[in-house]
Amino acid sequence: MRWSELRRNVGDALHGLFYFRYEQDLRAEAIELNDLFLLMCYMEMVGLPNPATLYLLEVYPHLLSEFHLWHRRMGVDHSPLAQIRCC
Amino acid sequence: MLLADNRKTARRLLEKRILFFGGKGGVGKTTCAAAVALAASREGRRVLLVSTDPAHSTSDIFERQFTREEREILPNLYGLEIDAEFEAGRYIAEVKEQVSKMFSPSMVGAASRQIDLAAAMPGVGDVALFDRLTTIIAARNAAYDLVVFDTAPTGHTVRLLQMPEMLRAWIDALTAQRRRAVERDADSRGDDGGEEQPDPIVAALERRRQRLDEVRARLTEHRDTSFVLVLIPERLPIEETSRAAGALAEAGIEIGAIVVNRVLPDGLSGEFYAARRRQEDIYRREIDHRFKTMDRIVIAQLESDVYGLNRLERISAQITG
Repeated sequence: MRWSELRRNVGDALHGLFYFRYEQDLRAEAIELNDLFLLMCYMEMVGLPNPATLYLLEVYPHLLSEFHLWHRRMGVDHSPLAQIRCC
Repeated sequence: MLLADNRKTARRLLEKRILFFGGKGGVGKTTCAAAVALAASREGRRVLLVSTDPAHSTSDIFERQFTREEREILPNLYGLEIDAEFEAGRYIAEVKEQVSKMFSPSMVGAASRQIDLAAAMPGVGDVALFDRLTTIIAARNAAYDLVVFDTAPTGHTVRLLQMPEMLRAWIDALTAQRRRAVERDADSRGDDGGEEQPDPIVAALERRRQRLDEVRARLTEHRDTSFVLVLIPERLPIEETSRAAGALAEAGIEIGAIVVNRVLPDGLSGEFYAARRRQEDIYRREIDHRFKTMDRIVIAQLESDVYGLNRLERISAQITG
């Protein structure tokens, strides 16, 4: 039992060593991709028309939490937009 | 007047499940749509006549009040006047209700404000109107044998019918972007897509897309769905109809007939009549030439304008021959 546990821990440690940087890069890329997605959803706020606005209403609550994460990442403690009050 | 030709074309139209009537403002779209709906209902088919023109005049023609909800106007004939603003309000209310079922109260409050804001954007009425049409088109099998849409002047309607295409492109782009982000995020956490929870945003967008695809399929199904273009023998309506025909063909929508409305009746005399008739003949030849691949229905002008059931029946009789 303890032998297999040890083996798993060593495996995880090696995995962490090798993949830490790689996963960090992936995460950064994921965040960037999602920011672009957010921008596409909120195009109207930067003055560009978005014909799908009405269809996006039902996903707004999901977007709200994403938006919250975004402004925290940008180093702003509270929502910088009066229209979006996520916190 | 070649009533026999009208009859053949009208027969084909009456066998459809969805008919759109469009044309330049003031050429008699509403009259023709009402006359065809009346004819179908008299044959015992259950008919829904839907007006999407913001300047509703179906109520005036039938001299019966059409409302924002479907209601029986005559035996077998149901009427509905769609109001874009009202539909937008209804749509927003539905979304809010859905949201309130799925999220915590604080989240709902924040989202509600945003939803109200989005609802005030220009163009929302059009999308809401389209959404209502979508619902009617998707559900029509259940309740009605034939749905007749009396649409707003050509430009607006053609844009409405192109909407599935445009919205689809948008939704596709959004979905693709969101997918990329979600996948990359899963990669970074070392998930290899085993027991994945489907992303709620992608799921919602996909539901939308499916519905748009359904509507598109219905609209371009020539066996069931046709567009009828109404015009009068004059220069501007001919040009506009020609453009509309091009746009519809491009969208893959069948043109069931060209209705040449308000032509001068035969057998009159006098100098004024003869002069009008000469001019009309030129335009009618041009119509025959420009729309030669399409079936035509010709309706002669009555001695008075068309409102009330009696006069509508006379137009109906001309159409069905």
